[in-house]
Amino acid sequence: MGGTFVITLREGFEAALILGIVYTYLQKIGAQRHYRYATRGGVLGVLASIALGVVVTALSGPLLDLGPDIIGLAVIFVAVVVLTWHGYWMRQHARAMKGDVQRKIDEAQTTHRMWIIGVIAFTGVFREGAETVLFLWGLLTQATSTSGWASALGAVLGLIMAASLGWAIFRGGRHVSLQRFFGVTSIFLLLLAAGMFSTGIGRLEVMGFLPATPTAWDTSFLLDDHGFIGGFLNGLIGYRSRPSVLEAGSYVLYLAVAGFLLFRSGSSSPRSDAPKGRIPAHAV
Amino acid sequence: MRRALTLLIAGLLVSVVAVAGTAVAADAPPEIALTIDKDQFQPSEVKVKANTPFVLVVTNKGAKAAEFESKDLRVEKVVPAGKTVNVRIRALKPGSYAFFDDFNKAATGRIVAE
Repeated sequence: MGGTFVITLREGFEAALILGIVYTYLQKIGAQRHYRYATRGGVLGVLASIALGVVVTALSGPLLDLGPDIIGLAVIFVAVVVLTWHGYWMRQHARAMKGDVQRKIDEAQTTHRMWIIGVIAFTGVFREGAETVLFLWGLLTQATSTSGWASALGAVLGLIMAASLGWAIFRGGRHVSLQRFFGVTSIFLLLLAAGMFSTGIGRLEVMGFLPATPTAWDTSFLLDDHGFIGGFLNGLIGYRSRPSVLEAGSYVLYLAVAGFLLFRSGSSSPRSDAPKGRIPAHAV
Repeated sequence: MRRALTLLIAGLLVSVVAVAGTAVAADAPPEIALTIDKDQFQPSEVKVKANTPFVLVVTNKGAKAAEFESKDLRVEKVVPAGKTVNVRIRALKPGSYAFFDDFNKAATGRIVAE
């Protein structure tokens, strides 16, 4: 039971985290009426996961060998793009968020495309979704014995736990100031995207599209990324207990490039929708 | 901005498919069979030639999905119930590489390259 609990918690954690942030974000900018974008994205993510789970069990041959990997890669890199963009956007607005908050909020709603929120919610759910569906399905078909039921129950509790964490983020996030939420979340999204980018590069490496590199370090004896705490850190900041040099390198490279884009002096940013009379960047 | 994002995503997809296509066209490396049945790998020790890429042909004879995973090899691959999946493994240096079923930790094994 404990084993299956940790697996679904680990798989569901990232999705819960992303959904928690996305809803908090919408609530923060007073766009509750746009919750539907996040909800639709999340629901579509669940449906796509189930669909892929069903399709995978029906596939065979090269389609089964490569299909799920290619879809997985596409989802990872799309997620990296939308998270980076959203993080960048939030960072820009965290700078400008002092002063007339309501006007800034209205502006946020008009300048930020809400469908991006839907894409973020979708990729967040879909990324580990199909795997979780297959895992759960296997457990449920086996749930005829007592131990089978315990395993299935553990898995369901793991998902509930993950969802509760997402809910806790939403509840807690409401009390944080708008500017701090934007500031902290943009950094967090940066780390999350760095972890995903590194995972995507690692997949390409394993599939043989990038040269194989040796293991950069091995801390699995200390903190296994498949364990309870390691799994959290994996979802949160992309912690890996045993990355290759390429994976570790791409994580650092992503952070350096995206960090530069995010944290360079904001005044040089030529955004046409920049609010008039905004407070200079040093105020952040 | 929207068009830029669409283009970017389309570009990523095209490149991923193109890369995958070249991989399929590559020469077929030797195949080695591995079966998952009754929560165990058969054989639990797979002997391969060192410094030669190969394909693990993993067949899941069990009734539930398995995930062939190796931290040593950094491979993760779902194998649905009753299905066979080819897992391409790069050339290995001589040594022992552990693998397990991530959906069922009781099933473990190792690849020995020599």
